[in-house]
Amino acid sequence: MPIVNMESITLLQLNKRLASLITVPSTQDVWVTAELSDVAVRGGHCYMELLQKDPERGTTLARARGIIWASIYPRIDAEFHAATGQRFATGIKVMVRVSATMHPVYGISLVINAVNPEYTMGDLLRRRQEMLTRLQAEGILEMNRSLEWTDVPLRVAVISAPGAAGYGDFINQLYNNVQRLRFKTRLFPAVMQGERAPETVIAALDCIAGECDDWDCVVLIRGGGATSDLVAFEDYSLAANIAQFPLPVVIGIGHERDVTILDYVANMRVKTPTAAAEWLISRGTAALDRLRRIGADMLQAASDKLSGCQSQLAYYEGLLPVAPVSVCERASALLHTHLVTLASTGPRRITPEIARLTHRGETLGQSVRNRLERQSSRLDSLSALLDALSPQSTLRRGYSITRAGGKAVTSVSQLSPGTAIETTLSDGTIISVTK
Amino acid sequence: MTEQPVFTPVSELTYSKAVAELESILRMMQGDECDIDRLAAYTRRATELLRECRTRLTATDEELRAILSDLEK
Repeated sequence: MPIVNMESITLLQLNKRLASLITVPSTQDVWVTAELSDVAVRGGHCYMELLQKDPERGTTLARARGIIWASIYPRIDAEFHAATGQRFATGIKVMVRVSATMHPVYGISLVINAVNPEYTMGDLLRRRQEMLTRLQAEGILEMNRSLEWTDVPLRVAVISAPGAAGYGDFINQLYNNVQRLRFKTRLFPAVMQGERAPETVIAALDCIAGECDDWDCVVLIRGGGATSDLVAFEDYSLAANIAQFPLPVVIGIGHERDVTILDYVANMRVKTPTAAAEWLISRGTAALDRLRRIGADMLQAASDKLSGCQSQLAYYEGLLPVAPVSVCERASALLHTHLVTLASTGPRRITPEIARLTHRGETLGQSVRNRLERQSSRLDSLSALLDALSPQSTLRRGYSITRAGGKAVTSVSQLSPGTAIETTLSDGTIISVTK
Repeated sequence: MTEQPVFTPVSELTYSKAVAELESILRMMQGDECDIDRLAAYTRRATELLRECRTRLTATDEELRAILSDLEK
């Protein structure tokens, strides 16, 4: 077959045809969502791979090359960082406005001319929220945050990239403290950016956990560099490791606005490595101040106590010459009082007693007299009665007593004729004989 | 003569225990129950505790120089 006669076009012509097919209105200025990978800046341009992954299996469903030209990259990067605290980096999900282009040599690229940071923020926040919810459900979210610090954390296990500017800043700040606090540190090296960051940090944490008793806390620092590739730290297993770590963990991996999931689980969050050192120094300084205060108070208390005792002694000393005299004076005054009391008591009690006695004496005489008089008058009346009743007085009134044979005759039947009777009158006796 | 108090050697105390003892001595000295016979003993003890605590917190110049020179290696 005469192949030479067949019509053909050059590759360049084909590519140009492809380019014209591709650069149609429906591929221009299209908003696309994708995940970033292999981000690199060369010659001011930013190159990256845009991926779509299967959310279940993680396999790549679509891939395209993306470019941000140097003419707009600084502006887009600044806006994106300002809004999200992130830079373009592997793993970040973005919504970008792209125009498809076809270069005869380099093939199809998606030229990015705008980015919607809110999409990235939303995605980061959603993923972070999912991790937080999971940590909460597992009951470990607050574990590191609720650990108690030792009084003065002086033994500091440092996780950082060896030779990193941030590590140097931290160590210099820590050891050049004015108070000369005795810190002990050791570096547990880890990769502090990119995909390997979580696993190497976890390995360093495991090392420290093995000698837990030798350390008071862990300080996780990086920094110095301008890049702020923090998305690598948005990692569940790293967060879970820190949350459950038995020593308080201080995180100093970003700047103020660069929050990662680690800031939610670590005991302490600081802005920079230097700030981490300053915080540790402030703990030590506070302890030294407390000691100083105790020392001053102690001195004050001891001298107060002594001067209290001294003034008490001085008081007694002043009292000593005066006290015996005043004791005598008081005793003498007391005696005098008793004397006066006694003097006034005698007359007060004796006088009425005498009066009473006198009165009784008088009463006694009177009653004796009364009694004698009563007896005497009674005797008088008895004597009168006796007088009235005596035979003599009856005789004097004309009566007589007749006796016969010595016995009183009260009836004529007692007498017979010729009986001698004796008649007694008041002034004598007549003897006669009855007829 | 009052019986003098007996203290644990400072080197056997943790920092926290040493500070706690310091504060309890201070409270006692500031209170009324401090016995003047023991004042000297407690003051001496407190000074010893303070010195020990400070030593544990701070390093000497030589130690600091040694640490920093290690770093530079």
